[in-house]
Amino acid sequence: MSQTILGIGDYGAAKHSGGEVKTFALGSCVAAILVDPRTKAVGMVHVALPDSSINEAKARQRPGYFADLGLPLLLQEMAKLGSPANGRGLVVKLVGGASIMDHNNTFNIGKRNVLALKKHLWSYGLGPLAEDVGGNHSRTVSVFVDTGKVIVNCPGRGQWEV
Amino acid sequence: MSKIVDREAVRQAIEKLPLFSPNALQLLQVIADPDHELDDIVKIVKFDSALTMRVLKVVNSSVYGLVKEVTSIDRALSYLGERMVVSIAVQENTGQLFNKPLEGYQGGQGDLWRHDLFSAIASREVARYAKGNFDLDLAFTGGLLHDIGKSIFATFWKDASQEALGQIEQGVVSDYLMAEQDLAGLDHTEVGYEMARHWHLPESLQAVILHHHHPAEAIESMQPLVYAVHVGDIVSMMAGCDTGSDGLKYQLDPGYEEFFNLSPTTLAEILLNSEEEFSKAEASLVS
Repeated sequence: MSQTILGIGDYGAAKHSGGEVKTFALGSCVAAILVDPRTKAVGMVHVALPDSSINEAKARQRPGYFADLGLPLLLQEMAKLGSPANGRGLVVKLVGGASIMDHNNTFNIGKRNVLALKKHLWSYGLGPLAEDVGGNHSRTVSVFVDTGKVIVNCPGRGQWEV
Repeated sequence: MSKIVDREAVRQAIEKLPLFSPNALQLLQVIADPDHELDDIVKIVKFDSALTMRVLKVVNSSVYGLVKEVTSIDRALSYLGERMVVSIAVQENTGQLFNKPLEGYQGGQGDLWRHDLFSAIASREVARYAKGNFDLDLAFTGGLLHDIGKSIFATFWKDASQEALGQIEQGVVSDYLMAEQDLAGLDHTEVGYEMARHWHLPESLQAVILHHHHPAEAIESMQPLVYAVHVGDIVSMMAGCDTGSDGLKYQLDPGYEEFFNLSPTTLAEILLNSEEEFSKAEASLVS
């Protein structure tokens, strides 16, 4: 068993038996997770913000930080492991995007991240098969190569499958 | 079974805490004075050999990648900024308080330090968008200490935390702070305030610790500072840097709009800049 741990703005994929791709404490960030049922490859990107135009330098340095750049890069990683470059046939799941209790929308970065990822998924003709997004709890998420299962953990709430 | 916390037991736990060193306390008092200069900080650090050694170790750590070793406090301070010196002094003087697991919040070892350090950096970033003049480094120091009460309160709170989450889900209380009040009869901000008084911290820092979830309750002159930390705390939780099961379960007070120009774009910039500085600060402080 080997873990690939992703930090904020990281992306990665795995296909070896016993492999797991994991990211901690998503907060308002969103993990876009891809599973290829044919090759068994799994991948994840930990997106923090919806749009890279806010900071070009950061976009070059950490493209996975942004929904618009992170998703294409994750598809490229999956393609290196034998998945279709256009993402056809991949199972997509979204996890994260929590928000603070805010009565106006300024702080709702979580929701904006989810919407941005969906918009970019649609441009590939993809959409999430399942999602565990929103609310006011921070999630840790893993995806496992052997089973393709996506497991979420949250302090005080326990663990569940998405 | 009642989960009301024995205030006398909390008071005794606070009484047992070691005091801040005179130099560290003087440093926090100087930072709280809006008219201070960098030279005032240099003078304090120079007379504290342990602090001097730690500051030089941090500035020469691989994180900063300096080609030439820094051997003078003046240069180290101008390079690191006073906020890093405050972080080092607070870390040295609070011992394991920041690092022990937060049982009641299901927070792991070091989570409180990480949350407070991120909040400190985010509070300073928020303060950069102030509508009026603002002492950025005081916002940082307030952020660094705002949740210190959890270090003591967590031990007394452990039996009630699960019930608190249930109360929030069912809408019995509006947020986690209210759940603490309802179940324990006191909350982490009150405990933190008593710790700050025990340590004789400056009044502005006491106000931040006591009011960071309800900044409108601070006296008017302190409100900009308390609101900066209120928002910085929330940004830290949004970035996933929380203290456990209470993460994101607090109310945002929209009164911040009176003091800061925040929009979805500026908030994204605050998150981005805070995360970048945090990674560097965290790595250099453990080296």
